[in-house]
Amino acid sequence: MAQGHNALIIEEDRLIIQIDLRSSKIQLDSILKIAGIREANTDNIIKGDFGFFKNEGWVFEAKQDNIVKFNRPLIVLSNNSQRTPYLVTTQIPDINGKSKKSPLVNYGINKFAKITVYELASGLTRFILPGYERSKRVFLSGNFNNWSTLKGLMKKADGGWLLDVKLEAGACEYKFITDGRWTTDPDNLIQTNDGAGNVNSVYYKYNYTFKLSGYSLAHKITVAGEFNNWNTDELSLGKKDNIWQLQMYLSEGKHLYCFMVDDQRITDPLNPHKENNIGGNLSSVLNIGEMVTFKLDGYSSAKNVTISGNFNNWDENTLQMQRVANRWILPETFPAGNYSYRFIVDGISMVDPQNPFTLFEKGEFKSFLALKPTHYFILKGFSSAKKVTIHGSFNNWEPHGYTMARKGDDWIIGFNLKPGKYLYKFIVDDRWILDPGNKFWEQNEFNTGNSVLWIE
Amino acid sequence: MSKICLLIITFMLCYSFAAGKSKLTLGNVTFKSLFADPDVIPTADFKTLIVPIKRVGNLIIVEATVDTLEGNFVLDTGAPYLILNETYFRNYPNMGNDEVVGATGVSSGSYATIVRDFSILDLKYNRLTAQVTNLSSIENGRHIKILGLLGTRLFSKFALTVDLFRNVLYIQKLGKDGNIPESELFYHNPFLISPFKYLDDIMFFKGSVNNNVFWFAFDTAAETNLLDYQKTKNIMSSMHVMGRSKLTCIGGFSFEVIYACFDQLTIGEQTFMKNQVLITSLEKIGECYGYRVDGVLGNDFFSRGIFTINFVKKEFEMYIYTNQ
Repeated sequence: MAQGHNALIIEEDRLIIQIDLRSSKIQLDSILKIAGIREANTDNIIKGDFGFFKNEGWVFEAKQDNIVKFNRPLIVLSNNSQRTPYLVTTQIPDINGKSKKSPLVNYGINKFAKITVYELASGLTRFILPGYERSKRVFLSGNFNNWSTLKGLMKKADGGWLLDVKLEAGACEYKFITDGRWTTDPDNLIQTNDGAGNVNSVYYKYNYTFKLSGYSLAHKITVAGEFNNWNTDELSLGKKDNIWQLQMYLSEGKHLYCFMVDDQRITDPLNPHKENNIGGNLSSVLNIGEMVTFKLDGYSSAKNVTISGNFNNWDENTLQMQRVANRWILPETFPAGNYSYRFIVDGISMVDPQNPFTLFEKGEFKSFLALKPTHYFILKGFSSAKKVTIHGSFNNWEPHGYTMARKGDDWIIGFNLKPGKYLYKFIVDDRWILDPGNKFWEQNEFNTGNSVLWIE
Repeated sequence: MSKICLLIITFMLCYSFAAGKSKLTLGNVTFKSLFADPDVIPTADFKTLIVPIKRVGNLIIVEATVDTLEGNFVLDTGAPYLILNETYFRNYPNMGNDEVVGATGVSSGSYATIVRDFSILDLKYNRLTAQVTNLSSIENGRHIKILGLLGTRLFSKFALTVDLFRNVLYIQKLGKDGNIPESELFYHNPFLISPFKYLDDIMFFKGSVNNNVFWFAFDTAAETNLLDYQKTKNIMSSMHVMGRSKLTCIGGFSFEVIYACFDQLTIGEQTFMKNQVLITSLEKIGECYGYRVDGVLGNDFFSRGIFTINFVKKEFEMYIYTNQ
């Protein structure tokens, strides 16, 4: 591997890295990364400080003008005690060089040639695949069922196949499997490439309706916002019951928007929350997410109480609480997730005295809040314990963990966990234990095991 | 009567020989007399079973059902039989005398068990012997829940065709001549036909790397090709080094590997160019197979085309995508 005068070569059973000291920092970073040398200080290398190589087991070989060479014996390649190829190859990160994570979708509108996916009054979503009447079996597979090839068995109906599924608001990527063969939805005009070479159909489960009353003589009304880069020609409202409206999916979080009524920009008359956008134009503000009301009892003589947390980048000034009788309160809307926060009472920072859940971050305890928890960890059988904390891959096994709250005889804490695998353990009065309520665990490097949880 | 006795003795001798040979190691597992059972005959109410597959990293994922539990399995021709992940099957009965180790006081070793019902769609097995072992490294490396590995013996009476372009696996019954019936052929005119040795349920190919003879194991769970360092070191200077990496495995043990590229990999009568390989010691992997190997043909090799493994004829074929 050669990049200019930088190179990684093999000679006489040695791996040799050749570095041109005139290289740019980017070039140096690149050759060091290829050579598997991480966290090297390239400034020091350019200055001629090669101590890092020695520490990493490289041997100085030669220096001529601006070219310096280090080597390491290849005999170290013999030190592989793994007994199957997968034990080696599954440890290679990003092996096929493609990211399989779909980009986050801010908003979405469905487009069908013929509507074959729609919402039912029950809250379920019906998927229909017309035709395929000679097929033996058809499955619906998508991100909502972890792309299962077995779980979404469709029912045969007149003229096709159907299945009702429960979806969360958002972009649902899916495909049909007809007699073993993957196929996109022929009637759905929206498709996406998942980054791994697969094309999937996309259905948006809606969660918001923009409404604008009046303007009965208007010819065209659109909505535009940060979510669609203020494109005023894309999202048209239709008239229904004399109200202009548009149903769509909008991601959780804060959105600035406006309406365009026959090319005239207006804010939403029904929405009192407004602020200027980056261009200085007054815009309506929409917060989609979970409502939470922060409360702090007492401190009646305090002059200023605010909240800072990871939801506002620990800004100590913007989220002002209001005093109501003998209590400070602040209702806010945040996207579902896990948050840490502290109250600031006249400049003095403190945890929320009414919240039993805490975590330890950057040298201090913080209150912990899970909005829309997807999983509750419950520890039974330790009613006499004084303190229980939970530790795991979700907090990088931080030694203080998250404090759990006693609820009756149980200890409990909820988290908003994204789909994936989580390893965890409890500490009950200074003693590490596996979760006795979870039969799934795997061995760890200490030979003591970790409980295993999959969120699907 | 004496002929019958002779037949019985012959059968017992053959059986003992087979049982004696079946000592393999997988992961941290040594397979002992576990698979002395005769091959399980599956119920297969099909000529061709078309199974959708998924790709995670370069793994080939097939969903199957173990008793009542559905989930992901890795198609693994480097495994001799069904392997179950101990995280989910730890409570299955231990049918052998394999060592059981558990610092937590709970079993965490590897052992043989019996699966009452196992199925891949219409391919169904009753009372299938399986090995329970730790597969957490696959789960943690590729972030997918893995119930187990599908080893070769599950398919020993069939031909498997893997179409990575359409993400489909074909499991096909074979005619009396050992071939896929003409009416069931989906792909024609293979550009590569090669016999393989099938030893202790592992596939081996004789091939060459830059004109040097190499013996390869064929492993669909190997996410890239591997070459043995000792066998390769004298020809490494003819290879293009792409990088070096330190990998960390279970228990925090780390080891170095080299990524390289070379131009002449010959299997059968076909020569493949621009082959990416990972160079490391294959000594332990060879011990696990029961035979020394110089290399492992993994994803970089088999993703070059649609491939068919005929386990009865011991023949491997490869087709280019458009040639069907």
